Amino acid sequence: MDIFTLSMWVLTIAFSIYSFYKDKDKTKNALKNALKMGKSMALSIFSIIFLIGLVLAFIPAQSIASFIESQNPFVATIGSAFIGAITLIPAFIAFPLVGTLVNASINIVAAVAFLTTLTMVGIVTFPLEKKEFGLKFAISRNVLSFIFAILISLLMGVLL
Amino acid sequence: MIKKIKNNLFTVIIILAYITLLIFNKPLAITSLKNSGYYIKEMLIIMPIIFVLTALLDTWINKETIMKFLGKESKIKGSLLAFVLGSVSAGPIYAAFPICVMLHKKGASIKNIVIILSTWAVVKVPMLINEVKFLGFHFMIIRWVLTLIAIFVFASIMNSFIKDEDLLVDEAYYDGKVNINIRACIGCGICKAKYPELFEIDGKKAHIKDIEDKDIDNAKLQNAIKNCPVKAIKE
Repeated sequence: MDIFTLSMWVLTIAFSIYSFYKDKDKTKNALKNALKMGKSMALSIFSIIFLIGLVLAFIPAQSIASFIESQNPFVATIGSAFIGAITLIPAFIAFPLVGTLVNASINIVAAVAFLTTLTMVGIVTFPLEKKEFGLKFAISRNVLSFIFAILISLLMGVLL
Repeated sequence: MIKKIKNNLFTVIIILAYITLLIFNKPLAITSLKNSGYYIKEMLIIMPIIFVLTALLDTWINKETIMKFLGKESKIKGSLLAFVLGSVSAGPIYAAFPICVMLHKKGASIKNIVIILSTWAVVKVPMLINEVKFLGFHFMIIRWVLTLIAIFVFASIMNSFIKDEDLLVDEAYYDGKVNINIRACIGCGICKAKYPELFEIDGKKAHIKDIEDKDIDNAKLQNAIKNCPVKAIKE
């Protein structure tokens, strides 16, 4: 558990104790609502997680690296942006992977496109985002994130 | 049964995919399950407190405060606050969903919601440290600054064409036995007249009061459902 996750636990527990001290009933109600919220999201979250597992089994991290290496720059950039959008790879795997690509100066633009869509665009989390925020919001946020990720990667190519 | 499948189509598809894979390619199915393990741990470490925190903030912070600090009038200060909130929080992007939905219901602007969501996903200090380690400080700082500019720009773009009503989906939060399609509801108050113990009108829309599912009087509920002029009540 990193320090940020830990401080969120501390903050939430402290807040709960303070809340309980101030108003028992309100706190009980809040905890009940938290449970309801959890129940309503649990199924979607588990589905997303098992989908990620499935996607990663079909597109392992190593094959992404060889994809970026082998294609022409344009195809590699768009392609890796799409792969980044549909996968969710933890930072401790993604950064070393991209690091080797960039240090070999293979294709910086494609590598950045992949890194940026990896975090900003979430195709696997889309069903949940749609459920919580509505279709228009979810589509707009993901499409705009995708476009801007490409722009960022192109700019990085110029700046680096 | 059919209704249940329809409501959880996504889950059903995933389960079917796993069953198919187990039959035709067992090793790949096992790899998939193992891959999922990491994400389950990541979720369990953060989601319980996210739900508690969201519910507590919902209880103790009033609408006026949220509107003042994150609402449409909060200008650049609100956006900076949104940025800080998103950056210091931990967890995957979907952990930001319940908090953002709650903040929006209490008057936070679309722009600030998008900023929180995006920075939550992108700006993570442990991740930035990792990036420096493998790609160098120069690389990290340029990508970080460009990403921030991009987030602020597309948050403003979204703010210009997404309306607050677009976010009001069928009570995604409290879907117990009864749901109201907020977008369809015209706030006529007939449901409240038919079953005042269950329905209330707040902000020109009907809401479900917080009562236990087992306490719901089915006859009165059916009567309310039948009489809703826009058929916005769903069981």
